[in-house]
Amino acid sequence: MRMGPYVVACIVAVVLDATLAPEIEILGARPDFAVLVLVYGALLMGGRTPIISGFFMGLVADSEMPEYLGLNALALAITGYLASRLLDHLVKANIFVQCTVIAGATLLHDLIYYVVYYRNHLDLFGRFFVHEALLGAVYTAVLGAVIYAVARAANWRGVTSASHW
Amino acid sequence: MVSLLARFLRENRELSTLIICALISLTLLALPPAVKNAVSFVVSTPTLGPVKRVTSGATELLRVRQENTQLRRLTIELMEERSGLLACRHENDRLRELTSFLIAFEEEERFEMIPASVIGMPGGRVLEGIEIDRGLEHGITAGMPVIVSEGLVGKISRAFPGRSLIEPLTSASSAVAVTVERSRVRGIVRPRYRSAAELLSWEMDYVPARSDIQKGDRVVTSGLGGVYPPGLVVGEVTLATEGPLTMSVAVKLAVEFATTEQVFIVTGRAERDPGHDDRLDELARTLGITPGVTPGDTEDAADGELDAPGGNPTAGVGEADR
Repeated sequence: MRMGPYVVACIVAVVLDATLAPEIEILGARPDFAVLVLVYGALLMGGRTPIISGFFMGLVADSEMPEYLGLNALALAITGYLASRLLDHLVKANIFVQCTVIAGATLLHDLIYYVVYYRNHLDLFGRFFVHEALLGAVYTAVLGAVIYAVARAANWRGVTSASHW
Repeated sequence: MVSLLARFLRENRELSTLIICALISLTLLALPPAVKNAVSFVVSTPTLGPVKRVTSGATELLRVRQENTQLRRLTIELMEERSGLLACRHENDRLRELTSFLIAFEEEERFEMIPASVIGMPGGRVLEGIEIDRGLEHGITAGMPVIVSEGLVGKISRAFPGRSLIEPLTSASSAVAVTVERSRVRGIVRPRYRSAAELLSWEMDYVPARSDIQKGDRVVTSGLGGVYPPGLVVGEVTLATEGPLTMSVAVKLAVEFATTEQVFIVTGRAERDPGHDDRLDELARTLGITPGVTPGDTEDAADGELDAPGGNPTAGVGEADR
């Protein structure tokens, strides 16, 4: 996958997180488009790309909540790094592996972000994690699988080549 | 040491990138709130700013649309409510006016009257009758005079058990003995028709030449003929022209028949009831009305006398009160 389309995908993901995600909420859980793009970035390109893209996507997302400026950037950068490292050792073409990595990455991001966010109210964090983060991870993974299936059916260039990784 | 670090970073490029990103993130987190706000503004303005403007515009549009629908619904409801309230106000005004008239009339004339509502107006271009919701079972009989606050309407021509028919002054056979309030000149008011379906005007007949009648003079019932009590306003003179033997006097009727909704049927003279005046006074106080204002000339009330309703229509002068 070339860098241009990936940057566009990152921008779209941030925009969707800010606009569409609240609208398609299910039982309080929202899909995390940034994590989705990050994992596919790690899948398709690997290396430092998911770390840097994660950092910038997080920074833009943080600009919505200046009090925690840098927190999303940190969480997404770490998530991108770990996703990239993890996928080096997994069968990337397997859809279930992809879904698991997406769900894990979403949980990891939420874990880093909300531990800091709820640092003074860890009981609230526990409740949030059980009720919303787990469901949100599953939601994001399912959405990732759907997007992957659509991309394969449409024979998108970058994504379909993932089957040969 | 530095070369060792440089070598480590070269060999672990992903980790070193993460470390740099983490250091920047932690630095941003540690910034004072004012600086964070400034950085956020710088980051969000070119990135999420336009998107937020578009989405907030779209959201606003949807909200306005919903609000518009709600307001339209509310407007319809309010319009319905308003028309209901206007109808109530109109009815209230009318009833106040009628009550005021009733109080004033009963104070001065001591007539017994029955109120009735108009339920129909048969006739084509010329109003030939007015149907009301009171009849024989309410004590109404043919020949009783019918009045409103503005003046004389006509008389009952036919009475049925629950309804009656009024013969208004517009009827071709109508004739009312009248007198000019100011000069006491007498005559008979009746309609003039161009054809059977076209009423031209009302004229006062049998007025001798050189009588003292001027435009604007009020015309009231004279009481002659025995059908109508004296002093009821019939209309006013609009034109008085001298002729060789008689004057031609055009009269504009006081009552607007097309818009009449409530009428009073004069059933006879009232017996003095000891509590009657008190009740009237109380009602007048409630409505803020000053009793004692009569609808017509009260001088004539002493001259004439209302006979039993439906009395001989040919009695009196000529064709008076037909």
